[in-house]
Amino acid sequence: MPERKWESLGKKVEPAWGPERDRLVRVGIARRAQRRRVAMYAGASVVALAVVAEGTYAFVSVRGTHARADVASVSTPVAPLSAPVATVIVTHLSPETILEPMPDHGGRGFVLRSGGARFIVSHDAEHPFVVVAGDVMIEDLGTTFTAQYPSADRLDVSVEEGHVTVHARGADTEIAAGTVRQFAVSSPALAIDKPSRAPTAPATSSWRPLAENGRYEEAHTALKNAGPNAVRDETADLLLAADAARLSGYPAEAVPYLERVVRAHSGDPRSSLASFTLGRVLLDELGRPREAADAFARARSAGGPLAEDALAREVEAASRAGDTARSRDLAREYQMLYPRGRRAKAVSRFGGLD
Amino acid sequence: MSTQPYLRLVARASDVVSGGPVDFEVLFERYSGYVASLAARLLGSGDSDLDDVVQDVFWLAARRIGKIPDLIQARGWLATVTTRVVRRRLLRRRFRALFHAGPRPIDVPASGATAEEHAVLARLYQVLEELPTDIRLAWSLRYLEGESLEAVAAACGCSLSTAKRRIGAAKNEIDKVFRDA
Repeated sequence: MPERKWESLGKKVEPAWGPERDRLVRVGIARRAQRRRVAMYAGASVVALAVVAEGTYAFVSVRGTHARADVASVSTPVAPLSAPVATVIVTHLSPETILEPMPDHGGRGFVLRSGGARFIVSHDAEHPFVVVAGDVMIEDLGTTFTAQYPSADRLDVSVEEGHVTVHARGADTEIAAGTVRQFAVSSPALAIDKPSRAPTAPATSSWRPLAENGRYEEAHTALKNAGPNAVRDETADLLLAADAARLSGYPAEAVPYLERVVRAHSGDPRSSLASFTLGRVLLDELGRPREAADAFARARSAGGPLAEDALAREVEAASRAGDTARSRDLAREYQMLYPRGRRAKAVSRFGGLD
Repeated sequence: MSTQPYLRLVARASDVVSGGPVDFEVLFERYSGYVASLAARLLGSGDSDLDDVVQDVFWLAARRIGKIPDLIQARGWLATVTTRVVRRRLLRRRFRALFHAGPRPIDVPASGATAEEHAVLARLYQVLEELPTDIRLAWSLRYLEGESLEAVAAACGCSLSTAKRRIGAAKNEIDKVFRDA
């Protein structure tokens, strides 16, 4: 077989990679960074304890004044262990988190629209890292910090390491490590309303923290044991339950949760994400391309950052469903809307425009 | 007179001039899809492994971001790291296969391929599964990914002559199967 033929065949090996898988990989990296930090702190603590024990022994046995000085000098190597492991690592703290990168900030600026996120940031004086939440702006000075909306008009900023400057209502507040401060947000970019009615008490809530910590298999088992009342009819809860189902290997069980978000919470900004995820589950895991195409169509009709991927996946789904007319029309639409789109090649292929 | 347009592809000025430390978010945004595609071609099947490979590669990138001089050279650096991560995974997969009764099903992620192309790809990866891992990777980088010999040698961490020898060895085996294709 000619060599060029292999290369063109190789180009057809293309995984279904999109923003959802990107997000999961980012979460995994952030978790590993966190585990590494914990391990390093534990190691440092052991070293420090050993040094203190050795120093105490030296002090007791020699009874000299130099022993204390030895302890101090040997302890200093602990300091570099707190150095950041990456330039910027962002962890979404809840499924309702909506965090959008700011254009022209080179990955060092985000708008927090809802939920909360944790940031591990190394300081770069020339490219300050900023997070904007409504009319509050947080600027890092080399740190690890968390920004979270406890309610639509309040923002909690918690600093674990280093310090940040918060610009709010014309005043600058510097927050040091170990401090939590709350700020009023008078014009939140997007307020996610809390449910107006009191949530029904779930039979057991043990599945929720498991799912939030990425232990999806255990969360799925706990969810099964807890029964049908364990999931509240709220977008965040439904999305979390869907994640627990599909990421533990039960994609079919994720479908009703996602459909519920799409149908009953269509006004929620996360419903387009639910539609997109539903499309992926139906297309990639359940082999139901016709329904998947409709789900992707709903996701793109909401616009936003998912629209391009949703249209591309809709072309693919229509093609797989055998609806060549629809896939061709959609592929032309994609070419018109995104002439330099990231998925242009795949769209042309599925739309029969090659 | 040449009919070629007097144009050549150059890197974006921002990429070349940046010179400073590479931003992890920019690196991830620009190359996560590339790493996933490269890993998919090298692995052949096992779509579920892809997320782990991409995570391993970018976890290393996050820790060694200071060693990546700029976004252009980042591509080669990521290709080398991806090849190493995939190599480990293929070796592990081969070891696990010793304890399985039958061969693993070949499920190549090529949704845009025709049925005939699917069959050729499945047969190809069957042949590749039987080759030594280093030989398989060198051939895949050269012919499926379309990399230059120098890039294959760099990604595999071997000399140019070793890369050529590995590619040749794989080619002989593959040609035996696809002689009539």
